[in-house]
Amino acid sequence: MGGIDVVDDRVRVVIAEDSVLLREGLTRLLTDRGHEVVAGVGDGEALVRTVAALAAAGTAPDVVVADVRMPPTHTDEGLRAAIRLRRDHPEVAVLVLSQYVEEQYATELLADAGRGVGYLLKDRVAEVREFVDAVVRVARGGTALDPEVVAQLLGRSRKQDVLAHLTPREREVLGLMAEGRTNSAIARQLVVSDGAVEKHISNIFLKLGLAPSDGDHRRVLAVLAYLNS
Amino acid sequence: MDTAYCAPPPQAPGHRVPAGLRAPFSGRTWREFLHLCLSLPVACLMFAYAVAVVSTGAGLLITFLGIPVLAAGLAGARGLGALERARARALLGLEVAGPRPLRPARPGPMAWTVALLRSGASWRHLLYAFVHFPWALGAFVLAVTWWAVGWALLSFPLWYRLVPGYAGLPRLQLWGGGGTVVYVSPGVAAGISGAVGLLLVLAGPWLFRGLTQVDRLLVRGLLGASPLAARVSELESDRGVLADTAAADLRRIERQLHDGAQARLAALALDLGLAKEKLAEDPDAAARLVDAAHGEVKTALQELRDLARGIHPAILTDRGLGPALSALAARCPVPVAVQVDLAERPAAAIEGIAYFTVSELLRNVAGHSGARRAAVDVWRSGGQLMVLVADDGHGGADPGEGGGLAGLAARLGSVDGVLVVDSPPGGPTAVTAELPWRG
Repeated sequence: MGGIDVVDDRVRVVIAEDSVLLREGLTRLLTDRGHEVVAGVGDGEALVRTVAALAAAGTAPDVVVADVRMPPTHTDEGLRAAIRLRRDHPEVAVLVLSQYVEEQYATELLADAGRGVGYLLKDRVAEVREFVDAVVRVARGGTALDPEVVAQLLGRSRKQDVLAHLTPREREVLGLMAEGRTNSAIARQLVVSDGAVEKHISNIFLKLGLAPSDGDHRRVLAVLAYLNS
Repeated sequence: MDTAYCAPPPQAPGHRVPAGLRAPFSGRTWREFLHLCLSLPVACLMFAYAVAVVSTGAGLLITFLGIPVLAAGLAGARGLGALERARARALLGLEVAGPRPLRPARPGPMAWTVALLRSGASWRHLLYAFVHFPWALGAFVLAVTWWAVGWALLSFPLWYRLVPGYAGLPRLQLWGGGGTVVYVSPGVAAGISGAVGLLLVLAGPWLFRGLTQVDRLLVRGLLGASPLAARVSELESDRGVLADTAAADLRRIERQLHDGAQARLAALALDLGLAKEKLAEDPDAAARLVDAAHGEVKTALQELRDLARGIHPAILTDRGLGPALSALAARCPVPVAVQVDLAERPAAAIEGIAYFTVSELLRNVAGHSGARRAAVDVWRSGGQLMVLVADDGHGGADPGEGGGLAGLAARLGSVDGVLVVDSPPGGPTAVTAELPWRG
């Protein structure tokens, strides 16, 4: 499951975003790429209701794209709705968009260690290709963490002395891996071969003392747990 | 607060008992009397305590032990003072804020000792114990004698027959001693006694009011916060209001940015991102997207400009209140006549608050008043900047409902300004703000 080859797969999306302008923009963006936007809602309550109704009808969406801040309180209802969805409908993946990136939010979202979670800065929608990639990746059970969250995690981690032992290239790979990217996506980004990426990753796991695990999502969780501990 | 009269409530206005006749039975009178009675034991106790503290402390001062003993004594005096304030609150209805709690520079008994000895309030509490004692003694004697004699004489006609010595005597000695002895018949004696008793009983409440007035002064002056401390706590509360309004402003600005320009720019980025992807394969669609993006940029710019003006209008800084208020009035949907009569400019902070006061008031005029025209007048009166916003709407603006006007009043209060709202139902409305000039 490489980044670009899944773009052709149709994904069913529910969008929760209170700004009509952005909601329409996102809908346009996703339908333009051949995906199906099954519903667009403007607040957290409506999101939970809509997904529950769709799931009851046997037409649960693959992924929910939700803004963190929505009416009525304009604080973090999108995030709370997302966490509720993770609990009630684990089969529905959740991608949370936020105006600001707070590593705390990401940690809360990832706390249940389920599959298919994403947390991105809203600005990332401008990179159309990457954003749609992230939506599809999350819909397929993968992870998409914003580079800023990863940078915060890396900077804040108490394992600085261990991290210092990584080569600059290995740190780069670690960052991309924490964002949830696949080996081939990392290879494409860094313009190296898949084999080179695999070698870097096994080095990283060796240096951090983590057991090598297959599966991109579990790998991400292992890395995040390591950085957070 | 003293509405708990013992007299039965009047059934009709015509049968109302005059206040002067009700006073001897009122709860307030009896509470004040009780206070005067209790003053004696309390004052004795405090006096004895104060004398013991001072003599022990002073006696021990030649050794080093005197200082902590004195400090402990002062701490005790503060505790007794708190009880006195509680007694005054319960019986006299006197609300007096206590002195500021001690804040030693460091933890530890040494710092506490120093703080206690340096605090003027501690010494004032000790002084209270000394001053209050003679006063309480005199007031107790006067009040108890007056009240007891008054009631005894007033009820004399009822009970003199029951006293065995008086029974069956043809004449009673009304006044004796000093050579002249006056004898009157028992009936006359009873009448005169009753009349004198009535006067004493009716005058009693006034006497108690006067006596407790001195108690009130003593408690307020010696056991309360010093005027300076009171002002400090007032300023602290003002600072709290200021911090709250500043935080509310920041939240409002953040909200506006989030909902407005930020969302618009994100949508714009999205459109441009799509257009970039489409440029090669579908130039027409790309052109449409770029066109939409162009429109969004212009709207975002407009929103940012409005927001910046809402934070601090540039024209206010550059040109002062006159032009700034004219510009504000020009944007108001209701026609506004602006007259600013200022020879010089007040302090920038005052200008800013005056501007936002007018801005809020005009927003109310446009939103709620139903006015057809409004007027803004700004002038200087001595050390004050006066701002008047009037409209011919239907009035009924209420500054107390926790709405915008209450917030405005709090904001003005934070710089010692005042907001006066005159808005009878049916209108017209005139709101006057008075701000210190601070030029």
